[in-house]
This record gives sequence, structure tokens and C-alpha cells, in this order.
Amino acid sequence: MWDWNYAFEVLPDIASALWVTISATLVGFVLALVVGLIWTLLIRSNNKIISNVADGIVKFIRNTPLLVQLYFIFYVFPQFGLSLEPFTAGVIGLGLHYSTYLSEVYRSGIESVGPGQWEVATALNFDTRKTWTRIILPQAIPPVLPVIGNYFITMFKETPLLSAITLVEILQTAQNIGASTFRYTEPLTIVGVLFLLLSYPASVALRQLEIRVTERY
Amino acid sequence: MSEPIVRYNNVTKYFDDLQVLDGIDFEIQPGEKVALIGPSGSGKTTFARLLMTLEEITDGTIEVEGDYLWHEQDDNGDLKPASTDHLRKVRSNIGMVFQHFHLFPHMTVLENVMEAPVTVQGRDKKEAKKSAEDMLDKVGLLDKADTYPAQLSGGQKQRVAIARALVMDPKVLIFDEPTSALDPELVGEVLDVIKDIADQGDTSILLITHEMDFAKEVADRIAFFDGGKIIEDGPPSEILYNPQAPRLKEFLERFMNTQSSPE
Repeated sequence: MWDWNYAFEVLPDIASALWVTISATLVGFVLALVVGLIWTLLIRSNNKIISNVADGIVKFIRNTPLLVQLYFIFYVFPQFGLSLEPFTAGVIGLGLHYSTYLSEVYRSGIESVGPGQWEVATALNFDTRKTWTRIILPQAIPPVLPVIGNYFITMFKETPLLSAITLVEILQTAQNIGASTFRYTEPLTIVGVLFLLLSYPASVALRQLEIRVTERY
Repeated sequence: MSEPIVRYNNVTKYFDDLQVLDGIDFEIQPGEKVALIGPSGSGKTTFARLLMTLEEITDGTIEVEGDYLWHEQDDNGDLKPASTDHLRKVRSNIGMVFQHFHLFPHMTVLENVMEAPVTVQGRDKKEAKKSAEDMLDKVGLLDKADTYPAQLSGGQKQRVAIARALVMDPKVLIFDEPTSALDPELVGEVLDVIKDIADQGDTSILLITHEMDFAKEVADRIAFFDGGKIIEDGPPSEILYNPQAPRLKEFLERFMNTQSSPE
């Protein structure tokens, strides 16, 4: 059933595809972090139109499946003249989808900062931008870091979805190997183990972070 | 008398349908210390918060050193709502100390006091640090410069908050019930600091308080608020010992009773 020789033979190929998975996660997550904050700020805008439109887009993205969004970006956008590489399309899809979750996380962080901090910022004559960068965000972000980290790990584990838009990440690599040798057990097991080896330590580290954050706040 | 530093002209404030200030005219002279007293809900806090621009004015105008706070004059001399820049410029003359301190929990005591001079006034970091330290020395907390607010007592927090407001060198400093959130044994140290500021500074002070003895000690003038109006306004000796308005008499009586009755 399990052939160690075969497993070691295919391991390098699968492991080398790992960097695609990791870089898609990293780029996608940075995108999600930035776009998520933009959503939050737009939704908080005093302009009702901006606020409602942003809120509507966020709800739409959050309540439709990531896979459908990926297909749409990869297969439908070209019809409007926007052809994207699988990696680019995948990163945009992941980033956009997770930005809507992170937007919610930022919101809860920002709401946990009391109204007094806004008032004292006014009393000390801070402008809007510096109120955010110096006073509100430095208090809003640390408490929600563990939640942000959780989304990072979840997103990492969702990257195999990108194989659906032909990105050759580790799952697709394993599948390709399986398809050519008709032996799926070893390659797919290796994929699972690689994910486990990366996400488990990450979640342990996150737990440590959570403890430190709770101690501080 | 010299030009007043703050002038309220027929100021009215509504929260939705609820009127909290009813056509108030009021002046504060440079260096004058004014205490505002009155029952809760009488409008004294809203009165002060309008000056700090924490609430929006409904009607009337407020002038600070002759500049409109909430308005700007257009080319025809007509008043229009102030731009953000104008509001910030006029507001820079005003400072405030809050009942619940509102220190920045993510900064050390020194950083709390240094932050606005550097970020808002664009002052040189070294120079701002020096004046922040001087200010902390003044409120007796220089030895706490590197601790975080969470490790301070309420009285110490309020003293840091006072240093943080003072370092901006405001022309008018508002104290909104600065000791109401403190344990009784910590009230004294904060009142001492406020007394010092009142005694040495040429900063005008607007003090909202329930501490009548303290108001008497610090204030040049006491204004009694009731029902969104200033009912009586005069030197402490007049207001506290020779009140005219029936509602002020009633307020003071009730106040003296609660003061002397054991809890």
C-alpha cells in the first residue's frame, strides 16, 4: 500500500511546489490586510453613499464562495479584456475574499477603543490621519492580532483551491504526479503532512501570541 | 476690562429635540478662573464641550480671542460653518482634562505627554521631551516617566493627563469634573496640582466641579447652571454665601446636606 521509495522519490517535486503555496499565501494575505483596512475605513466614512457601497461590496464578497470568485476572476474577467496569470488571479481572489473577513476584525478592534480616545485626540488637536495612525490603530490592532493570525492559517490551508484555476501549487503537483503514475496515496499524504508541518507550529505560535496579548490588555 | 479670551453669543444646543443650552451669553477674561456648578443635566458639561468642539453648536457663536470657533466669515462678512483647518487653528487655544483621564494606554507616561507636541505641533523631539519632563516634574510624576498608565493610581493618571494638556500651552484649560472618578483619598493630590496651575499660570480655567470648597478656593467667578441657562454668575463669596436665585439656594442647601450627611 505505502511505498517509502516512491514517497521519497516524489517528495522533492512536491516540496518544491511549496514555495508557490507559501508565496500565494503571503502575497494574498498582505493584500487582504491592506484592502481589509481600506474597507473598514470606507464603511466608517461619514459619506453615506461611500459607506453603503463599501458595506454592500464587502457583504457580497463575504457571502459568496471563494471558488466561484476565483473562477470569475480567472475565466470571466478575460471576456472583459482582463486576462490574468493563475498566480495573480489566485492572489487577488484570496486577498479580496479574506479582506472582507479582516475588515470585520479591524472593525471589532476599532470599536474596542473607547470614545474617550477620540475625544482626547480632538482635545489635543490631532488631525484625522494622525488620530488613526498614532492613537486608534495602535490600540485597535494588538488585541485582534490572534484573530488575524487565525485567518492567516485558514487562508494558507485554502490555497489548494487555487489548483482549480490551474495554478500548480502543491496539491496540483501531487495530482499531476498521481495522474502520471496512477499512485495517489503517497503524493496526497505528503501534501497533507506538509500542510500540517507548517500550520501546526504556526497555530502554536499564535496561541503564545494570544496569551501575551491577553496579559497586556 | 481687557478683550475677553472666550465669548459665547446666544449659544443654543439641542440633542435632537432636547434643548440643553438656551441662548447663553458668557465671557471669560484672559487668566480668569471660572467654576461651573449646577445639577447634572443642567448643561454645564455641554457648555464646555462646545468650546472643546466635542459637540457641535446648534445656534449662536463662540469666539476665541476674537476668532469664531464654529464659523468663518466669507468675503461678504457673512458667517458660514468653519472649515476643518479653521476649526483646528482656533481649537489649538483650548485644552481639556477629562473626568476619566483618557491616557493613551499604549504609550509610557513620558510618551503620553510628548506625543501631541511632536505629532500635532511638530516640535523638535528633544525639546518636546525636555518640556514634557518639566511638566511631569511640575505634577510630581517625573519618576514615573517610563511606566505605563495601567500601573498608575487614578490620581496619578489624572496628574499625567493634566501635564499632557498643559504641555500644549493652551490659553484656556477646561477641567471636566477632574476628581469625580477618583477614590476620595486621591482627590487631594489632583486638586493640589490644579490649585498650583491656577495660582501660577496665566491660563484661563474653566472648571466643572462638585467640589464647592475647591471652587471657592480656585475660582475668581462661579457660574450656576440650571435648565440650560446660567441663572447666577458672580464671585464665589456672592454665589456661595449670598445666593439670590431660589434655585441656586435650593441647590446649595441640598448640596450642603448631602455633604454633611454620613453615607
